[in-house]
Amino acid sequence: MSETPNSDRPNSEIPNIEVWGRASSSNVQLVMWAIAEIGLGFTRHDAGFGFGMNDTPEFLAMNPNGLIPVIRDRTGGRDVLMWESAAIVRYLCASYAPEPLWPRDPAVRGPLDMWAEWAKTTFGPAFNSRIFWPAIRTPAAQIDRASLDRAIEAMKPVARMLDDRIGDGPWLAGQDFTFADILCGGMLYRYDSLDFDKAETPHLDAYYARLCQRPAYAEHVRVSYEALRAT
Amino acid sequence: MLTVWGRATSSNVQAVMWCVGELGLDHVRHDLGHTHGGLDTPEFRALNPHGLIPVIRDETGGVGAAPVWETAAIVRYLAARYGRERLGDAFWPADPAARARVDMWAHWAKESVAARFTVPVFWAVVRTPAAKRDPVAIARGVRQLGRELDTVEARLAENEWLAGGHFTPADIMLGHVLYRYFDIDIARKPRPALDAYYARLQDRPAFREHVCISYESLRA
Repeated sequence: MSETPNSDRPNSEIPNIEVWGRASSSNVQLVMWAIAEIGLGFTRHDAGFGFGMNDTPEFLAMNPNGLIPVIRDRTGGRDVLMWESAAIVRYLCASYAPEPLWPRDPAVRGPLDMWAEWAKTTFGPAFNSRIFWPAIRTPAAQIDRASLDRAIEAMKPVARMLDDRIGDGPWLAGQDFTFADILCGGMLYRYDSLDFDKAETPHLDAYYARLCQRPAYAEHVRVSYEALRAT
Repeated sequence: MLTVWGRATSSNVQAVMWCVGELGLDHVRHDLGHTHGGLDTPEFRALNPHGLIPVIRDETGGVGAAPVWETAAIVRYLAARYGRERLGDAFWPADPAARARVDMWAHWAKESVAARFTVPVFWAVVRTPAAKRDPVAIARGVRQLGRELDTVEARLAENEWLAGGHFTPADIMLGHVLYRYFDIDIARKPRPALDAYYARLQDRPAFREHVCISYESLRA
């Protein structure tokens, strides 16, 4: 159950994480927010929608699936090349974040990790794939209104679920902001700013307001998605 | 003692139980879900407010009374808590740089392979009455799954296991749907590396015990 703490991070070297992916990608935003929240350096290359590059042989050699984000970390002699945003956030936190952002004890981490996973597998698809994409990334004339309305209704109990879990917070772990807030909170800017019929979620609204107070969230997650809008 | 809630025929429960079996953990499992019901009781909702299986509670591992749900999070918990002492460091490396590859492939296998198999293919073929089956949608599901399996095939042509040279949770997240994939009545393109990998999985007693089991009770 022991994990390598920050011992391989030389004091003199601030890790510089190379990131491939456009700033407007919600999955890139999770990674960038984690980098900034931990206080790491980064070099980000635009790739994906509007920028291309993710179908080049060079990119496919990094990620055979051709998806962003991809990161490379060459800190202190390591060479880690990886993709899958949630796994990247876990990697960065496990490598460089102090307690309690990344709880070292699996018994503490497990009950937070399940909400992070739920955000990725349930809240994310329910909102991002079924509401945000159809509403923003589909030309108005092609939007399937009946299907979108069903998705909007189906989103309500999902949002209430997270609202109940957050309660008075302030964070998922209670007093401490953790990796699970990054994976859960990363979707809330779009959820909040997109205009549609939502469940009443006072706890979730207050939680989102607290997230907005964090400079790293304001910079890396609250990024305009106008460039994605279908015309 | 580790307690697991969820019927043996749930593919997500199978992933967790296979992991429990590989780790050799003492456990008690309660059948819940589908014909067993029990997901709507206040007692179960107190364990998982979403009313979904699997759920675990590990009273020896330090989680204490706190339940853990979400299959992938459960497997990560079990691997982090017991992997090293039971199966050695390679199963879930303590060094985050080494663990990155395992976690990334595990996450990908669940989101890209298992998710493209269970609902769009397995449910559409097995859990849908013959009269309601949509062959066009099934063919599309098999084709989309096939693209992911081509990635798996390329990966396994060069690596014994999905994350590299060792059996890891990435293999659990991929392999827990393969018994059904190879068993159901669908078109399967030849993929020799995947076939050889599936044969290696069948050499594992925990895979045979927890994954290679009848799904007849699910048939519509």
